Amino acid sequence: MSAPAVSSLSCPQCGAAITLRTLDQAQSVVCSSCGSILDARDPNLHVLQAFEAKQKFTPQIPLGTRGALKGEKWEVVGYQVRRITIDGTSYYWEEYLLFNPYKGFRYLTQYDGHWNDVQIVKAAPAESINGRQPFVTLYGETFKHFQTATAYTEFVLGEFPWQVRVGDHAVVRDFVAPPRMLSEESTPDETTWSLGTYTPAAQIWKAFSLPGKPLRPRGVYANQPDEYRPVAGSMAKRYLLFAAIIVGLGVLRFVTAARETVFATDSSFFRPGAPADSLAFVTPTFTVKGRTTDLEVTTEAQVDNGWAYFDYALVNEQTGTTYEFGREVSYYYGRDSDGAWSEGSRRDRALLPSVPAGQYFLRVLPEAQVPTDFLEYRIVVRRDVPIVTPYLVCLALLAIPPIFWALRAWGMESARWKESDYAPDDDDDDE
Amino acid sequence: MKHPIYTTFAALLVIMLVAAEARGWTPMRPTEVKNIPRSIRDNPGAYRPHYRSFFGTGRYLRGK
Repeated sequence: MSAPAVSSLSCPQCGAAITLRTLDQAQSVVCSSCGSILDARDPNLHVLQAFEAKQKFTPQIPLGTRGALKGEKWEVVGYQVRRITIDGTSYYWEEYLLFNPYKGFRYLTQYDGHWNDVQIVKAAPAESINGRQPFVTLYGETFKHFQTATAYTEFVLGEFPWQVRVGDHAVVRDFVAPPRMLSEESTPDETTWSLGTYTPAAQIWKAFSLPGKPLRPRGVYANQPDEYRPVAGSMAKRYLLFAAIIVGLGVLRFVTAARETVFATDSSFFRPGAPADSLAFVTPTFTVKGRTTDLEVTTEAQVDNGWAYFDYALVNEQTGTTYEFGREVSYYYGRDSDGAWSEGSRRDRALLPSVPAGQYFLRVLPEAQVPTDFLEYRIVVRRDVPIVTPYLVCLALLAIPPIFWALRAWGMESARWKESDYAPDDDDDDE
Repeated sequence: MKHPIYTTFAALLVIMLVAAEARGWTPMRPTEVKNIPRSIRDNPGAYRPHYRSFFGTGRYLRGK
């Protein structure tokens, strides 16, 4: 863009100098001194509207600022503040009008630190409805309806290619497909569509070489890209890959596990007043072969509304290393006001970790409290028995990060739609 | 590489799982005692498990 072509005039209201940057394209211009809105097509700058704004706003990008946005040079020529009121609360946003003599006009909008680069679209999108939520399609992209509200012009500065006035109002319908937003503005005279693209504030600041730092965005804007969803998605893919590996390892383990029975005995328990210690016994020696692996000790006792407790000591005959553990088998059942109930099991399984090969025997001390004082039980020892728990634990641990990111993505989407006409328990927010 | 920390974490989990299976690790932690006297065979009733001194009889009560 070459040096700006400007035309200097004077405000008929206050006499201040008026600069026209868009020359013959301007239809109205605002006196920066008194705020009067003047007819830019009239050589005498007829006053269209004296200053009526209730408050003054200062643009974050001063008028006349030039910069290169997305590879094209633009100059800020107009500024307006607009308002919608929802449930009695007014929300204000800024619109900056940019001009390039070869490209025409485009806009920057800013709300709560969220910026959009907006261009007028000439094609009218096709509108449909899905349930109670309309959507529009433009250039093959579908936009969901977000909000409908009446926007009022609250403050203007600079020049505009239309006859702007404070108090102007239009019905605005926003449709979103992050990072884009399609907006329809309807007045009794015309309907226009514009396409906004969410633009990081830092990019605006860099484009116009603005001093300082931009406002930190607050909340989630209608078309703000969901930064968490792609992370959650790609992490979920990574999860599936590792989950497949873990499942594969599990299948391999369950298929190849030896499950070798190294010892089994049937015994019975009878103690009409016998001292507990006298019931202890040792089993014959049995051999555990192969690599160091787990050892499963299964105790099955025919308990009926009673319990049996087994003090076990698995002794390595050669080294004297002993693994001590106690197991309870208890089974109770009955019927009460809630119906039939049962608790416990007649079978117990203990998995001893990392038992090396060797000659072993079991020292067993049974105790029991059963109605008959007579109890039959069976002890079975097997080596290399697979368990599913470590695989499930790994799958669960592995799922934590993707779930975390998925929850963040869900939270962002919830926050986005909370501000829409489709917020939960919110039927119609329009003014 | 996408998600290097997560990938490393996942790879470590898989390695630990393979190691656990190779060594036969299980969640159970029995009391391991070294050098039990051979007399246990002759007099099994006299043997006193070491964990009992911490946990009483070892059994817990059930029943509705």
